[in-house]
Amino acid sequence: MTAKPSRPDERRTVITGMGVVAPTGIGTEEYWKATKEGVSALGPVTREGCRELPLAVAGEVHGFDPAALVEERFLVQTDRFSHFAMAAADMALGDAALDAAGAGEFAIGVVTAAGSGGGEFGQRELQQLWGRGPKFVGPYQSIAWFYAASTGQISIRGGFKGPCGVVAGDEAGGLDAFAHAARSIRGGTDAMVVGATEAPLAPYSVVCQLGYPELSLVREPQQAYLPFTDRACGFVPAEGGAMFVTEEETAARERGVTARAVIAGHAATFTGSADWAASREGLAYAIRGALDEAGVAPEEVDVVFADALGVPAADRAEALALADALGRHAARVPVTAPKTGTGRAYCGASALDTACAVLAMEHGTVPPTPNVTDVSGGLDLVTGHARQADLRTALVLSRGLLGSNSALVLRHGADARP
Amino acid sequence: MHTELTYAELASLMERRAGVIVDPADLELQSDTPFADFGLDSLGLLGIVGALENEHGATIPADADACRTPRELLDVVNDVLKARA
Repeated sequence: MTAKPSRPDERRTVITGMGVVAPTGIGTEEYWKATKEGVSALGPVTREGCRELPLAVAGEVHGFDPAALVEERFLVQTDRFSHFAMAAADMALGDAALDAAGAGEFAIGVVTAAGSGGGEFGQRELQQLWGRGPKFVGPYQSIAWFYAASTGQISIRGGFKGPCGVVAGDEAGGLDAFAHAARSIRGGTDAMVVGATEAPLAPYSVVCQLGYPELSLVREPQQAYLPFTDRACGFVPAEGGAMFVTEEETAARERGVTARAVIAGHAATFTGSADWAASREGLAYAIRGALDEAGVAPEEVDVVFADALGVPAADRAEALALADALGRHAARVPVTAPKTGTGRAYCGASALDTACAVLAMEHGTVPPTPNVTDVSGGLDLVTGHARQADLRTALVLSRGLLGSNSALVLRHGADARP
Repeated sequence: MHTELTYAELASLMERRAGVIVDPADLELQSDTPFADFGLDSLGLLGIVGALENEHGATIPADADACRTPRELLDVVNDVLKARA
């Protein structure tokens, strides 16, 4: 594959702000400190009403006080997944020093991805419906449990009247949201608030997930999520995610803010549900497409953030997809899956991996894959301790349980045009 | 059960049903100020009217959720409650 030169007239998208709400930490500093040390936050499921269910281990966000972060009006009207989104968006906007006041009326838009919606809020209102009758269902049910709720509330709360949207496209949607943001920015929008957060640890949501054969029901946290090993037994679900501020490169520079990373390339494919072998071709195609858009050769990839589902057939397909797309470089490039320490928060998982990739490039550090020791399958999976490396290009991969495969290529912030 | 809706009860409902915190005295003093200026949107008002119906066991006219101000709402609701008393 030949790398195509990026067109000088193209409006490029850079990341200028990040906010994280993760089981391993709230805020990028706390999250990165835990992540580079390989801390695992997997533990017993303690959310109300969930203890009696067969799911024993999850990545819960502890110490998140929504009342301290979000106004009462927005709390009452929204689900926990939107509380996470609003809090993370605030952190990202603060990091980027961006608000609607300084921008044109339609200069800032919002796009989020969601795969689970507002399960806790929805369950409460549905219980009112069948317990007491339709007159006891609050009207905010009409917005709070839908996928688009976080986008809408971030838009209203921040006064962002630019293009708004939601990607309802399973886990890979967390990466696809960046492609939507970049498209809006190419189309003339100055900045997009983008990302994904999920809160699927409510009884109704957990019961829905129990139907996934890929869900790990192992009761020991250190054994429950071990991708790329002979003991792989499925994935552990989680809550949380990350929000970002992305901007047109020149607009960011004119505001005097630093590009933390460049959104260089993205591609997505669909290979159908329950066929992990087929995801090999789909994921390889997505990787090639993302590299091609970025104008990056396979051997230029310095680190891979793997999807790492923890299902043997899926892990094999991912390793083969990397070999298909990167050739011999696939055996040499460091691969990591920090999500074994947080669990998979559906769309929030790939958004969180994107934040991790940016932090890894900034610190020249590949964080390890928590809990995993005995790797099988031909990849150079970083385990045990973080690894120091000069990281200019990161590849983030994600697959959804229902068949989406996406790849995102990020370049170091210093790659932004001077 | 109260037979009359007071500004204190309305303020309490605004907080519980819509997360809008307002001092009852301010609500009474500014009773001709639109709900929107207090931060209450149309879904919030709809939820308050629904809660009043449930709590008082009364049927409130369908146009109650079109009331623009606290005074308008109190008038509509209290007409219903007084007629039943």
